[in-house]
Amino acid sequence: MTDRLAFLWPEIALFVTTCIVMIVGLSKSLAVRKSTGVIAGVGVLVALYLAAVSTPHTSGPAVCPLTGIHFAPQLTASMGQVLLPDMVPFTKCLIAAVGFMLLLVLAGTVDRNEEAQIASGKRVYDPLRANRAEFYAFYLFSLTGLMLTASADDLIWLFLALELTSLPTYIMVAMSTSRNQSREAGVKYFFLGALGAAIFLYGFALIYGGTGETKLNDIAAVIHAQGINSLTMVGAILAIFGFAFKIAAVPMHFYTADVYQGSASQVSAFLAFVPKTAGFIAILLLCATLGWAYNPGEGAGGSIGFTAVVTQVEGATRLPEPVRLLLWVMAAMTMTIGNIFAILQTSVKRTLAYSSIAHSGYMLVGVIAGPFNGDSSNAFTNNGVSAVLFYLLSYGVMNLGAFAALAMIERTAKADGEVREIDHFDDLRGLCKVHPIAGWTLVISSLSLLGLPPLLGFFGKLPLFTSGIAAGEIVLVVILGINSAIAAFYYLRMAFLPLTDTRDATIEQTTEAPFVGRKLAGLLSAGGVIVLAIAASAVIDQVKQAGTVQTWNPTRAIKPAPAPHGHDHAALELSPESVAAAGGVTSGAAKDER
Amino acid sequence: MMLTLASDLKSYMPIALICLMAIGFGVANVVLSQLFGPRRQGKNKGQTYESGMNPIGTARKRFNVRFYLIAMVFLVFDVEVVFLYPWAVTFPNLAVRSDEGLLWLFRILFFLLTTVVAFLYGYRKGVFKFD
Repeated sequence: MTDRLAFLWPEIALFVTTCIVMIVGLSKSLAVRKSTGVIAGVGVLVALYLAAVSTPHTSGPAVCPLTGIHFAPQLTASMGQVLLPDMVPFTKCLIAAVGFMLLLVLAGTVDRNEEAQIASGKRVYDPLRANRAEFYAFYLFSLTGLMLTASADDLIWLFLALELTSLPTYIMVAMSTSRNQSREAGVKYFFLGALGAAIFLYGFALIYGGTGETKLNDIAAVIHAQGINSLTMVGAILAIFGFAFKIAAVPMHFYTADVYQGSASQVSAFLAFVPKTAGFIAILLLCATLGWAYNPGEGAGGSIGFTAVVTQVEGATRLPEPVRLLLWVMAAMTMTIGNIFAILQTSVKRTLAYSSIAHSGYMLVGVIAGPFNGDSSNAFTNNGVSAVLFYLLSYGVMNLGAFAALAMIERTAKADGEVREIDHFDDLRGLCKVHPIAGWTLVISSLSLLGLPPLLGFFGKLPLFTSGIAAGEIVLVVILGINSAIAAFYYLRMAFLPLTDTRDATIEQTTEAPFVGRKLAGLLSAGGVIVLAIAASAVIDQVKQAGTVQTWNPTRAIKPAPAPHGHDHAALELSPESVAAAGGVTSGAAKDER
Repeated sequence: MMLTLASDLKSYMPIALICLMAIGFGVANVVLSQLFGPRRQGKNKGQTYESGMNPIGTARKRFNVRFYLIAMVFLVFDVEVVFLYPWAVTFPNLAVRSDEGLLWLFRILFFLLTTVVAFLYGYRKGVFKFD
């Protein structure tokens, strides 16, 4: 077994940065305290570099092109998670890149009043009251968890990584503003998040009970050899329900609007990207474990529900039917409910929250479509996994722009100095004239979120449509199309209010928030929406490989179903290769002691 | 798989026995002390802590939030020890087998360093200041 450290260099970089930030952030000197943001940024950039060069991948050894340091040999079946082998480097780069933009938006969120009072001499510096460093540390912890989720190859690892992603976000929500709504949002988010975690942990326990393995590729091997038993199936369904909380899909979406509205705009941007990405990576890993790769074409034309309209395309792959049905209903409901509720809102942040629910529904179409095993010439357009990964990238970039635009502007402070965010649609009127950067960022990102052709959102949504069609999910693709049309209603409102309307005296005065980072992030996002759309082919090459589900069968010999008394050791066959695939010298023997 | 579950339950027999013994122990003690215990009433007997401190004032009292920070610092110690034990048990095997020993030593040192960070953080926040 290759050393697991080979997979973890970016996480280690982020974690070391966290430690430094925690120590430095409590310094007496304001300049040193302020440097924590810069340190965090440097850490994320180092993680980006490491994610790009050090993560093992299947196309060759991981070698740094600049320094020639040899990080890891070529990825093979014996090394860790092999179900989605090339997803890890792509997702980690995506996480670090979008994470850096998020940091630009997040900078300056906490301690603004406190630092102002210290500067004016009203209060002396007290380490107990300073929260800036914690905020950056939580941000870094959450990114670390997200990257760990991407490299998870074990149910326990996956659970811990998801929790490391989520736990800091609860606190970030609560501390993001001094309003009471933030505390309320934090508490709501925490309790519902704990519920979600309990549900998917219970699911994991049942999967373990049903298959006797915790390693994802061992579970996949057991399922491949013996089929899915009912215990594993129930576990998988519970796990998907739990993940649905992270991605804000429909039965678990109730917290979204309140939490997004309660937290500061920049933290909402964080919530819309980080937990959602974690949830989708987890869902992709779970679905790959359950067997896109193992039972292609199985279950078509069954008698349950919606299968009658399914026409299979050669090479398309299928999830086990109950899971597919669950995801199908979840996707359709999520898209529709998200979009309809988004129309009804008067608050921009609530609209964006419901639109984030709808976008989760769009991405679930790609999850259902799954990878494509047929002709490789159109592998990208037919591959649902690539579609999801590409959409995560495009959604991350364009959604950040929308929230950054909101964070750039605030209502002119009253005497108490309280920061009040813009939140109502009326606040957007004539934004392009008054605050051109915020206005145009909002216009471009809402048009991209809508999926207008020359922009990134269009190129993100297109593969979801094509992969859905290739998998034969025509009805679902039609629902996706209708929902994209419904979404036009509120996205066009968000784009045209700043552009065409004019400000009158009834609208409260706004000023620009004194943070350059937010403008920079907005410009990066708006620029990214345009540049990535032009350079889409280069990204797509990466995504195409990232979305390849490995069809190499784990070479480990499967133990037979447990004998009544559990003493039947003779039936176990282990080849040397199979021991390596099981992830350790001892694990094969140790597992059968049970 | 599902068919074998019923027979698998046999292997839980010892746990069931222990549960029964635990419940039986509790019930037996209560019953025995009811039967044979001496019964004396009095002022001291009626106190909240029979042989402890005198309870003063209301229970709904505000207490220093620092206790929770101390609890967290204790947790850091706790987790540190929990991870050090298995490491210490396996380390001799690793060290004998190959040159991996040094690598594993540095790994645990890195882990200890992170707990030092936690203590430094707690110190800076004033957890250890009692005034």
